[in-house]
Amino acid sequence: MIQQIVKRDGRVVPFELDKITEAIYKAAQALGGQDRSMAEKLAADVVAYLEQKGNETPSVEQIQDAVEHTLIENGHARTAKEFILYRSTRTRVREMNTKLMKIYEDLTFREAHENDVKRENANIDGDTAMGTMLKYGSEGAKQFDEMFILKPEHSKAHREGDIHIHDLDFYTLTTTCCQIDLTRLFEDGFSTGHGFLREPNSIQSYSALACIAIQANQNDQHGGQSVPAFDFDMARGVAKSYRTLYRANMIKALDLEGVENAEKLARDAAEKIEAENGIWPAVDAQNGYTELEFALLAPAAGEETVKKAQAFARRYADREIDRHTYQAMEALVHNLNTMHSRAGAQIPFSSLNYGTDVSPEGRLVIRNLLLATEAGLGNGETAIFPIHIFKVKEGVNFNPGDPNYDLFKLACKVSAERLFPNFSFIDAPFNLKYYKPGHPETEATYMGCRTRVVGNVYDPSREIVNGRGNLSFTSINLPRLAIKANHNIDFFFEQLDQQLNLVIDQLNHRFKIQCGKKVKNFPFLMGQGIWIDSEHLGPEDTIGEVLKHGTLTAGFIGLAECLTALIGKHHGESQAAQNLGLEIIGCMRKRMDEESAKTGLNYTLIATPAEGLSGRFVRLDRQRYGSIPGVTDREYYTNSFHIPVWFPISAYEKLRLEAPYHALTNAGHISYIELDGDPVKNLDAFESVVRFMKEVGIGYGSINHPLDRDPVCGYTGIIDDVCPRCGRHEGEAIELEKLQKLGLYRHLNAQTLGCCGNPEEEADRIVNPVE
Amino acid sequence: MTMKNNTVMVGEGVGFERIRRITGYLVGTLDRFNNAKRAEVADRVKHGLSDQMEQL
Repeated sequence: MIQQIVKRDGRVVPFELDKITEAIYKAAQALGGQDRSMAEKLAADVVAYLEQKGNETPSVEQIQDAVEHTLIENGHARTAKEFILYRSTRTRVREMNTKLMKIYEDLTFREAHENDVKRENANIDGDTAMGTMLKYGSEGAKQFDEMFILKPEHSKAHREGDIHIHDLDFYTLTTTCCQIDLTRLFEDGFSTGHGFLREPNSIQSYSALACIAIQANQNDQHGGQSVPAFDFDMARGVAKSYRTLYRANMIKALDLEGVENAEKLARDAAEKIEAENGIWPAVDAQNGYTELEFALLAPAAGEETVKKAQAFARRYADREIDRHTYQAMEALVHNLNTMHSRAGAQIPFSSLNYGTDVSPEGRLVIRNLLLATEAGLGNGETAIFPIHIFKVKEGVNFNPGDPNYDLFKLACKVSAERLFPNFSFIDAPFNLKYYKPGHPETEATYMGCRTRVVGNVYDPSREIVNGRGNLSFTSINLPRLAIKANHNIDFFFEQLDQQLNLVIDQLNHRFKIQCGKKVKNFPFLMGQGIWIDSEHLGPEDTIGEVLKHGTLTAGFIGLAECLTALIGKHHGESQAAQNLGLEIIGCMRKRMDEESAKTGLNYTLIATPAEGLSGRFVRLDRQRYGSIPGVTDREYYTNSFHIPVWFPISAYEKLRLEAPYHALTNAGHISYIELDGDPVKNLDAFESVVRFMKEVGIGYGSINHPLDRDPVCGYTGIIDDVCPRCGRHEGEAIELEKLQKLGLYRHLNAQTLGCCGNPEEEADRIVNPVE
Repeated sequence: MTMKNNTVMVGEGVGFERIRRITGYLVGTLDRFNNAKRAEVADRVKHGLSDQMEQL
């Protein structure tokens, strides 16, 4: 007689016949069965079968085996099949639970340096409480989505590494990123969801609110945030500050000249001009304000006095606006490197595009932002955020004589020192076709590491960057397709086409979920009208229609390894490989264009950035196919269409070969080259590389060079083994005296050792005798 | 700061920061890179500038 059973975890519990009856009945029910007494009879048979086998304390697995056996013996084959399916699903759920708990265990008890999951994204600190909490949520959501949300074929392709669904943890929650129009946002003020902010009135407030807007929007999306025309947006803040500064200085000057009622006089004149002529004192003094003000003030204060006062006000306002703008930009850079988003686990991923505003106010913004970046953070460290993107445009800033050419030169210098700005090229034909002079919203911009959103199949009258972004993207493992094709190019293309269809179906599946979301789910992005046309929606409205302005994007990884697997060479070493590479990526783009034409949605192609993915795909492929030279024999697959980083090639050749792929990848791309030595010592060479990028049709590029820093002496530049400034090795201590000879640590000495703070107090300290 | 033979020493155990761009983002130190990215950074070779005119 069976009294007890052994559960999976080893516990021995009382046997309940009803549980077997229930399991059989459920399996039968799934097929339309209603006969409970039959289920009871079969359950009794199961027990009889177990007892006949002499098993007095069976395990759960043994009972399930017995159920299968009994069902089949009694002619219930279809119910048996249903029961087996139920059993295997339960097993997978159980395995997933175990896997998830294992991940949680590692997140809890292992540090980031020994846990790759914690370092999946380099800009999230996996060692902090909130970073770990974010990971618990993220890993749990990924498992849930894989099991219950994805279509089984998508889940399988993702799990096995045919494709990679990026940001799977956010599958049911939000979209990737957005290009924020700050000018529109600031008009009449805005709410962060936690409080209302008035329209700003100075450049300091403009820059502070820019940071807050980026931070607030970052919490509504899973990707980064970009400002497409930062110079144009901030220029208005500079103009407002200048108005305030000029007026204040005018009052001071008139007052000092002994003019009675100086304050009232100056204020009344300014207000009258603003009311009647709609102008303020402007940075370049070209708008006629000075003349109007003179005419109003001269009768009361005298011509000579007003002239003198105006010259004074102008001189000081000019000086102060420069300083105020610098301070505002300095604060912005500091804020964007310190303010937290997403439960404190990271700082906002921010990108600022600028360079084309030729107004005096816009130029002040660009110059001071570059100078603040050049100066670095509090201890001179290089700022990691924001990503700066200098928009290069012929006739605006590219050639000597262009109004912002000086700022382009400065951008090159700062980039040579600090790795930012990157450079985007509006003259690249695929960007130029959207460009309308005088409309910064038509200047193609880039987001974060490469995302680009400008074309608009859904609404061709709105081919603009403002208020739009990527909805989601999924990448294809190109090397695996190539390995499977076994040198058969036709077969490769067939497989690629199938894979693209799968990805398009999956993007559409996700899009449907996204469309069901409501405005209230995105209090800032949609609630404050950041996303295009969302200002016409109410909190309970769904966002499906406005989301159609966004992009649905396929990506790819490892073109170089793919080509090597197919024809033995990659595109850096063979023209045939380059031709085939362009054919492959061209075919992908064509498929996305076709889908766009068919659906009226923005299906696009991206050169995938591959934060955590480059390693995952190759690991899976090496397990399957072993180590294949030039294909799976490294720790990573090469980024998108890049020439492999280990392949010796000149900078110019690399850029020339990669440029045609920029034209094909309409959802984003980047090329970079690795420069040897310190580029600051050769700015002409640096600039010539940027100019070459433009000439060959690169859309977005940057130049990498070693940028090291010794936190002890503050040296920034190239450090091999020894710091060129203080001469210490990594991890090595150095005499304080040596540092003081370099002008550092002057307040520190043997007497103040271990103390810091007030230097006067320090100077008064005496050594405590040690006895 | 530590004392060694009556001399004040600074920087024991302090490493150099090495800022690198990997996917387009900068990262303040290599410590935070995942294994694949570390391997990629280690493999990078420099690109020369010598043959510009030929290419143009």
